[in-house]
Amino acid sequence: MWPFIARSLEVATILLIAAVGELLNQRSGVINVGIEGLMLLGAAAGFIAALFWGLIPAFLIGMIIGGLFGLVHAILSTSLKVNQVVSGMGIWLFAMGFVTYWADRYSGPLPRGVVSPRIYELSPMFFIALIIVVVIWFILSKTHLGLKVKSVGENPFAAEVSGVKVIRTRYLCTIIGGMLAGLAGAFLSTTYLGAWSHLPTKGLGWIAFALVMFSLWRPLILLGGALTFGFIWQFAISPETIYAGIPAPLPLLRMLPFVATIVVLTIISREKFRRKWALSRPEALGEPYIKE
Amino acid sequence: MHREVGRGEAILEVRGLTKIYPGGVVALDNVDLEFKSGEIHAILGENGAGKTTLMNILFGVLQPDRGEIYVHGRKVRFRSPLDAINMGIGMVHQQRKLIPAHTVLENIILGHPEAGKILDFKKVRRDIEELCRKYGFKIDLDARVWQLSAGEQQLVEILRALYRGAKILILDEPTSVLTPLETEAFLTSLKSMSRQEIALVPFVTHKLPEVFAISDRVTILRRGKVVKRIETKDATMKALAEHMVGKEVLFVLSKPKVSIGGEILKVENLSAMNDKGLLALKNVSFTIREGEIFGIAGVSGNGQQELAEVLAGLRRVETGRIIFMGRDITNASVLERLKMGIGYIPSERLGVGVIGGFSLAENILMSLYFDKEFVNRGLLNYKKIREYAEKVISEFEVVAPSINTKAAYLSGGNLQRLVLSRVIPKTSKLLIANLPTTGLDIAATEYVRKRLLECKEKGMGVLLISDDLDEVLQISDKIAPIYEGRFVSILQAEEAQKEVVGAMMTGAYSER
Amino acid sequence: MTSLETLKLKLERVPVVSGGQAVRISLLSLVFSFIIFSIFLSIEGANPIDAYSNIFSFALDPNLGLPTTLHRGLFLLFSTLAFVVAYSARLWNVGMEGQFYLGTIGAFAVAYSLPELHPAILIPLMLLAGAIFGAGYGALAGFLRGKLNVNEVVGCLMLNNIAFWLVYLLTVGGPWAGIAESTSRPLPPNAHAPIISYTPFTSYLAIGIAIVLYVFLSKSVIGYKIRVLGNSPTAAQHIGINAPRTYILVMTIGGAIAGLSGYHMWAGDPAFLMIPRPEAYKAIGDLTYWGLIIGLVCLLNPVAAIPTSVFIGSIMMGSTVLVRRLRLPFGLDVLFLGLVSITFAAFQFFYMYKVRRMK
Repeated sequence: MWPFIARSLEVATILLIAAVGELLNQRSGVINVGIEGLMLLGAAAGFIAALFWGLIPAFLIGMIIGGLFGLVHAILSTSLKVNQVVSGMGIWLFAMGFVTYWADRYSGPLPRGVVSPRIYELSPMFFIALIIVVVIWFILSKTHLGLKVKSVGENPFAAEVSGVKVIRTRYLCTIIGGMLAGLAGAFLSTTYLGAWSHLPTKGLGWIAFALVMFSLWRPLILLGGALTFGFIWQFAISPETIYAGIPAPLPLLRMLPFVATIVVLTIISREKFRRKWALSRPEALGEPYIKE
Repeated sequence: MHREVGRGEAILEVRGLTKIYPGGVVALDNVDLEFKSGEIHAILGENGAGKTTLMNILFGVLQPDRGEIYVHGRKVRFRSPLDAINMGIGMVHQQRKLIPAHTVLENIILGHPEAGKILDFKKVRRDIEELCRKYGFKIDLDARVWQLSAGEQQLVEILRALYRGAKILILDEPTSVLTPLETEAFLTSLKSMSRQEIALVPFVTHKLPEVFAISDRVTILRRGKVVKRIETKDATMKALAEHMVGKEVLFVLSKPKVSIGGEILKVENLSAMNDKGLLALKNVSFTIREGEIFGIAGVSGNGQQELAEVLAGLRRVETGRIIFMGRDITNASVLERLKMGIGYIPSERLGVGVIGGFSLAENILMSLYFDKEFVNRGLLNYKKIREYAEKVISEFEVVAPSINTKAAYLSGGNLQRLVLSRVIPKTSKLLIANLPTTGLDIAATEYVRKRLLECKEKGMGVLLISDDLDEVLQISDKIAPIYEGRFVSILQAEEAQKEVVGAMMTGAYSER
Repeated sequence: MTSLETLKLKLERVPVVSGGQAVRISLLSLVFSFIIFSIFLSIEGANPIDAYSNIFSFALDPNLGLPTTLHRGLFLLFSTLAFVVAYSARLWNVGMEGQFYLGTIGAFAVAYSLPELHPAILIPLMLLAGAIFGAGYGALAGFLRGKLNVNEVVGCLMLNNIAFWLVYLLTVGGPWAGIAESTSRPLPPNAHAPIISYTPFTSYLAIGIAIVLYVFLSKSVIGYKIRVLGNSPTAAQHIGINAPRTYILVMTIGGAIAGLSGYHMWAGDPAFLMIPRPEAYKAIGDLTYWGLIIGLVCLLNPVAAIPTSVFIGSIMMGSTVLVRRLRLPFGLDVLFLGLVSITFAAFQFFYMYKVRRMK
């Protein structure tokens, strides 16, 4: 039973790190649909770095690559005023192509020496993820910086007039969001999977994206969502570790996380929740900031 | 930077301020002004007189082309609003620059250098409460801004500026969206701030009386130049108005004599909610007849937008009925209403009235696509469409190289002509004109009004929604001042006196 | 943007970009992608000019790569059209992958249940089933967006993943599994697509659909309504266009087109004619996303998409020869597409601003 929980928590870790990064840049008004792509890039960079240099460099390099492409997205969407969805899609499709070309030649497992240390089978990254979430929660709700970030996402014109540097704030949040997505990807490929295969993210990045929407942009709710979906994902992969003899065939179970996402999305779109959801949503999300 | 200032000492001075926009438009021409501590110095001027440009320069949003700015006698350059704020200049915007989702306290503290890295709300709260006591302000610091009224939101902007150490407050049309009660409160707060040595500079076009009454002196701008400086005690309202518009005679349109016909529209006890879920239109009833222009006079935000949308079919009716040509159309769709001959000129031109990326012809098509005459077995008959488009575009004098020009290249007046050319020829019975002349220059405004009168001559019924009282008085046959979602009264044009209607639409006659 | 001032450049906002200018920007982004691709080729030790001549000479040679070029290229055309029709209403149909999968399920369910039918009846029936299944899946995404206001990008992606596992269910240990553990299941002979001039008839079907779609979008009433909705939902509402219904419509049409590509892919490839294992299935499923980029680069013009898709198909086909002949790493074709994606996204900037020298 415990190994199953440990693995679920690893999936939750991936979701959590990537999603909290997206939450941060969405709070500043920038939507990044390329989060799956950033995860892919981080996964590839991290895996290759692990092959040559080891695990810690893998995470660092994953973060750097993620941050780099986060910067690209920031330049495109914040400075060049390109439509944020187009920019995100462009990065995702680029990642699909580039990562295939770059990393598929390394397909296969990591060598024996490169293995994550584990505490009762749980990777320390889980605790790092929790710390990241708490830090971001603290920044957003208790610090002046967090207030500035939120104001930029709600009404950048009002923020500008109060002396907040809108462009700089959005850049910062988008780059950090990218770094976290890259880190999540590196963790996915080096620790959770321990091997490389073609496009290993398998839709997890999109679930992380959806989680941000469910969470009403609150890190603590996001934590709950990530834990839930981590469990669902791992259950879909290896249900027999909990309950031997599940009648449904494996592929049907693998659909579960995606069906669950649609169900939750449908529920929060109903009239009752729409109000609350619309009020929590950063008002300027997705809109380019064009000074008068 | 925030040293103690003696009463009457000049805080802010500008000399020779000039701003010329690309294209040669001279927005400000050699303007000299000074603002002394503790005085209320009002700047008056019509639309286009240069007020907005001047405000933006004083607050660091724009740079002047020539001229200097002096703060406490020292020459300064504002590269951004932050520089102006740090010099003690605060601004209260007409369109609030606040964060609706945040609390009053959070809005005030945002960006404040002394707020610290970790927000210490306790200290800020104490400071703000002290400020409120000092000036006699009353506000709930923990309320979210979207829950506040217009007057309260304005107070938040004032507090924010004062907490940043503003010694001079620039106020952009401060009373334009306030109710009489709120206006009274605001004027009282102006007086108390002035007693505390804050210089106050209201920029106004409308609602002269109140601001005039309270100011110490007045400067009038016209066409970018200072035309008159006067101490308030030496001025009269009439003289001020004359200086604002110059000695030119305002055109007076002759209303054609048209016999009023049968009933076209009958509205009974209509109520509707706004986007926030609050009742915006409350129990409105009226009729419009053939050949009649029904004008709704009021400050924007009193339910006019909701009324227009309900009549056009864009918004749900909560209670009441709409009867058009004898038929109950309360729940009819937008398309059904269009086919019935109801035309709607929306308040938003680019993006709603016309689509910028479409050509002129494709825009005209917006009102034709459901007409069988232009459709052949599901396919559009472009030949007929082009012929029709050329006809109406020349009829409505839309100036453009060809009908294939994209609408985004047209200027404001031309855009509105395009909207009219699309809507009016396809309107047979009822035309709803929502703020049709807002932001247009004199020539375009006159053209629009001429067209509306023509519709009247053709026997159409016209519903005119306008925040320009003169306009409503000039061309309407019946006038309904609206206030907080209710019609205060319905008057015949001949009986309507400007002062009375003006008072009605600002709530002076409503029961509380 | 004060850094630009130091370069003596000024940005000028452009309200709307002319048709000619838009085409120039698209071509420029393609050229730029080629330049960057050449850099990658050089890094891998290949001479770019050499590589390109290899690519195109192989890909366009009727005896060598042309059939596959046309087959894959026109497969991409289906995906592109499916994207274009929805994006004309500013709806992101990224569900072509799932709609393609459902299309194959529909088409081959018919083939395996009625393998003895005469081809003249069986094939149209398969196409119809493929289109209906794809349309249904597209309508589902459209419904989620139109009536339930669920973000269509996330919705489509979820549906794509669900559809993949559906296909997995059928092909691994299911009714479509091969005879032995790791083989693919062949198609009934009557289902094979007739070949006309190096390419299955469905290629011509795709071209035909492209032309019809062009006329539909630019000259029909419904096409006009779609475009108004895409340009300004508010304006559309003001002139009586029903947004939810239109959203569902475009997603249904897009789904139907993507569904047709299912038959084209497996039954139209003379070298294959089988239902493959999930890995191969997914590889083709991933290709459908390029329909997005091709659609955007072609500025949503269905007719322009025809040569562009074939062009991309030739790059795809040609890169396999680079892998074999010049010993270059696998994945160059998708790398190229990736470069086009990011370059095109960056070049969007030119739709809004003109760069001028300051006097």
